[in-house]
Amino acid sequence: MNANILLMLVIIPLVAAILILAIRRLSEIIALLATGSMLIIAIALFRQNLTYSLSLPWAGFGIEFIFRLYHFSAFILLAITAFAFLIVLYSCSFMHGKNYVNQFYSYLLISAAMANGAVLADNFVLLLFFWEGLLVTLFGLIAIGGKEAFRTATKMFIIVGVSDLCLMIGIGLVWYLTGTLTISKITVPLNTLGCTAFILLMIGAISKGGSMPFHSWIPDAAVDAPLPFMAFLPASLEKLLGIYLLARITLDMFKLTTGSWLSILLMTIGAITILLAVMMALIQKDYKKLLSYHAISQVGYMILGIGTCLPIGIIGGLFHMINNALYKSCLFLTAGSVEKQTGTTDLNKLGGLWSKMPVTAVCFLITAASISGVPPFNGFFSKEMIYDAAMERHPIFYIAALLGSFLTAASFLKLGHAAFFGKRNQENENTKEASLPMLIPMVIIAAICVLFGLYHRSAVGTFLTPILTEQFVEHDASVLLVTLTAIVLILAVIHHIIGTEIHGGGVKAADHIHHAPVLGGIYDKAEKRLFDPYEIGLKIVNVISKILSFMDKAVDWIYNSMTVNSAYAASDTIKNLNTGNYSLYIIWSLAGGVIVLIMMLKGFGS
Amino acid sequence: MENQAILLLIVLVPILGAFALPLISCLSVRLRNLCALSFVLISFILTIALVPVVYSGQTITAHILYNATFYADGLAVFMALVSASISAVIVFYSLGYISHYENQNEYYLMVVLFFGAMMGLVFSSNLIFLYLFWEITAITSWRLIGFFREKQHVLRADKAFLVTMFGSVLMLLGFVSIYQQTGSFDLGALKNSHLSNLVVILILTGILSKSATLPLHTWLPDAGVAPSPVTALLHAALLVKIGVYVFARLFIATGFVTEDFWHTAVPVIAGASALVAAGAAMTATDLKRIIAYSTVSQIGFIFMGLAIGNAIGVAGAMLYILMHGMAKGGLFLCAGIVEQNTKTKDITRLGGLIKTMPITAVSFLLCSFSVMGIPPFGGFFSKYMVMTSATQSGKVWIAFIFLAGAIMTIVYLLRVFNLVFMGQAKTQPVKEGSSTMLISVALLAALSLAGGIFIYYPSQFLQLTILQLPGIIK
Repeated sequence: MNANILLMLVIIPLVAAILILAIRRLSEIIALLATGSMLIIAIALFRQNLTYSLSLPWAGFGIEFIFRLYHFSAFILLAITAFAFLIVLYSCSFMHGKNYVNQFYSYLLISAAMANGAVLADNFVLLLFFWEGLLVTLFGLIAIGGKEAFRTATKMFIIVGVSDLCLMIGIGLVWYLTGTLTISKITVPLNTLGCTAFILLMIGAISKGGSMPFHSWIPDAAVDAPLPFMAFLPASLEKLLGIYLLARITLDMFKLTTGSWLSILLMTIGAITILLAVMMALIQKDYKKLLSYHAISQVGYMILGIGTCLPIGIIGGLFHMINNALYKSCLFLTAGSVEKQTGTTDLNKLGGLWSKMPVTAVCFLITAASISGVPPFNGFFSKEMIYDAAMERHPIFYIAALLGSFLTAASFLKLGHAAFFGKRNQENENTKEASLPMLIPMVIIAAICVLFGLYHRSAVGTFLTPILTEQFVEHDASVLLVTLTAIVLILAVIHHIIGTEIHGGGVKAADHIHHAPVLGGIYDKAEKRLFDPYEIGLKIVNVISKILSFMDKAVDWIYNSMTVNSAYAASDTIKNLNTGNYSLYIIWSLAGGVIVLIMMLKGFGS
Repeated sequence: MENQAILLLIVLVPILGAFALPLISCLSVRLRNLCALSFVLISFILTIALVPVVYSGQTITAHILYNATFYADGLAVFMALVSASISAVIVFYSLGYISHYENQNEYYLMVVLFFGAMMGLVFSSNLIFLYLFWEITAITSWRLIGFFREKQHVLRADKAFLVTMFGSVLMLLGFVSIYQQTGSFDLGALKNSHLSNLVVILILTGILSKSATLPLHTWLPDAGVAPSPVTALLHAALLVKIGVYVFARLFIATGFVTEDFWHTAVPVIAGASALVAAGAAMTATDLKRIIAYSTVSQIGFIFMGLAIGNAIGVAGAMLYILMHGMAKGGLFLCAGIVEQNTKTKDITRLGGLIKTMPITAVSFLLCSFSVMGIPPFGGFFSKYMVMTSATQSGKVWIAFIFLAGAIMTIVYLLRVFNLVFMGQAKTQPVKEGSSTMLISVALLAALSLAGGIFIYYPSQFLQLTILQLPGIIK
């Protein structure tokens, strides 16, 4: 196969996107064809398992257009194109009859093109070009969600834009330190500047992944943006991209070792993200919003896994990346079919959908078990690997991860109970199962979740092990850790049963945590967005702007008042000296004459 | 010989043509409008004709009077192309915009003369000629800022004139002391001569005042009282780009040798300017003032790249002039449509205009993306290159100052867009602008996008230009 095929992965979706905008009809069919052909190319490339590179003339000054395909990028491409295809299929039914359908498909396809380009890029600026370019389509995809959705779009744009600018400076630093921008050739020494560069690049990577503190637009988007957007971008594609870049920089470029403080920084960010986000997820009363906090929480596991810098942790983190992309997008899709069929995602108004929507409910059960880490589903195995690595580094990271698991399981018990079991709402008596184009993607993804769990060894062996340069031998998870996991899961079930008994109803099962002393107050403030880094950041920017604009006004005052007034004052003074008084003028002349005389005498003297 | 004739025509057609416009208007108003546009277009097309010559590595020298010459190298042709192309779009827009107002003869005379003086300045290779064209632009812009003749407008025009005049007189003093040292005003003969700090300060004052950089910047936001196409000309195509161009011409293309410390001092001034102006743009509520402060802020990025002076910085700054010119021109022209149709410039009293003015709104957004430096728009490459020049010179902290500036750019431009075009409508329903105006803004937005996708062409040209500049720091 010719290396030009790599270009097709960017060109096909772009052309399709332009076509959809131009002809305004048949958008579903064009989008399906485009994503389908991308998927076929990606499968073919992955099966060949060769390394391709493609180089085209571009901007110069180190900015070159180089595509490189190797095992890792081929795997990510396969995942992106597969999700793109399934989500488009899902949207055929979900988006039917909604506003801005053309724009939706067009932006979705451009996003896929940008993501493909970013994964293939072997030049850092080229990567940034596609990476940051996603901002534009993300802005569009969120903004078409509703009348006030542009506020969320703006929030996303500012948060992600700021971190992309950090990435930009990081890339500049890498160039200064290594003299090259070709990603596969970069090795950066970890001195002071090197660490600065790492942190800047890391900000770009984890912010794309949706980690804290760059997360706060995701729950807002869950409410505002069209649902397939959530399933495609924050749930799968952005995680794939962010963790892909994080893995590239920690493994290939900076060669982080367990001894580095950057490793501890990464693990800390991971642990904090797991805990804080899942705490927020637990108290949500909306299907989509609850899921969106899990989308944030799960990225913490991946960062923690990669941050351990141990082979098992890295493999675990990457396995968790693909597992999370699978079950999280499927969970969002179940939310979509519930929304489409019942018209709401408010958990207080849902319930008992089990008998009405059995396929959706089964898909939900599988994926919820997966995300909670129930064996034998895929999430269990990747989490165990991460636990293993975290335990080896320090028990505190392990405890954080385990506590996160407990809360994850608790919140999904609550969600499942409230949506699919319990008492059915009167309004939902006539609810039907979702249409076939919506069910097929859900079933396929849920099936992959099961397969990845049952055959986790071959999944890891086929997709992930070749990424590591060092030898990786998978060993059985430690019995102690597995036992602990099982205990935690059982505890979560007990907690849920007791919670339901006390408060009456699945949706209120976690209310004692929500309204616990101290915690209750913190939750209230968090719900009011007092801890939102974006709101805090904007406040700081506003205060700084006021100070700066005061300085600007001060400068302006010098021109408008001081200069003008002093000019008038000076001319007034001179005017007053010329009163027409004859004797005064004679005194002036005499004084002048004397000064001239003195100067002349001095001149002769020297 | 032929190339020299082209070079002379590029400057003379608009300058002499400008004075013919009022006479032509006696025949027909439409003919006058057509002539005004075609004078600019002729200049533009003739400049394109010079591209292959310069691209092959040659330079062109055309004698005019005594030892004064016009000189075309890569830098000059690039700048002339940028100015001429954007000016052409703005003059085309004017056909729609200015048809509502009186004194159109004066308007077209001044605009075309302004443009001609810019062309003269770009190609001058003699300090006195440079000064001469510099002052012609000052006089024409003074007339154009006060075009509506209200008392306050005239005062602000005076302010712009006085501040830039103050700078240019000091700069002239600097030129004279160069002459005292070396006995020449000719830039060709002055190559690589050493400048004392005092002369650098004098010349910099002139440059900073013309390019509206802190602390000589406040005339530019005040100049927003001018008709919108004029503000677009001032900001995007001509006036403020004069300062940065002359900086490049003197300190990089002529290679004046200065103390090393200026390579840090000028970026610091530029950084302060970028931040202060961004802060002012965040708090202002007048649409045109915000965009004007944004210009002051972005000019800081250009100065930074030029003053750092390495290859990527200079190339990035030149690209920045191009990309910022197109995008900022688009923003002002969009602001002009909004202002003309809603009769207000106060962004707190506007809202929801995207429903009735979709083309204007989308063009505004696309141009904003380019100014923010978001790919695939052209602004991305220029911003990346300028930022990288700071890290490449080892002065990472300068890059962080400008990082703050770039972040604020994103915030204030989105704020403007949201307040003006999104949310609830607060004014009477308004119509979209006239077709000439819409074509102009859509064209500039499309060019901003094309600038990023076809980056290969300007970048190739600049790579060659860089080789001709002796002042580049290795």
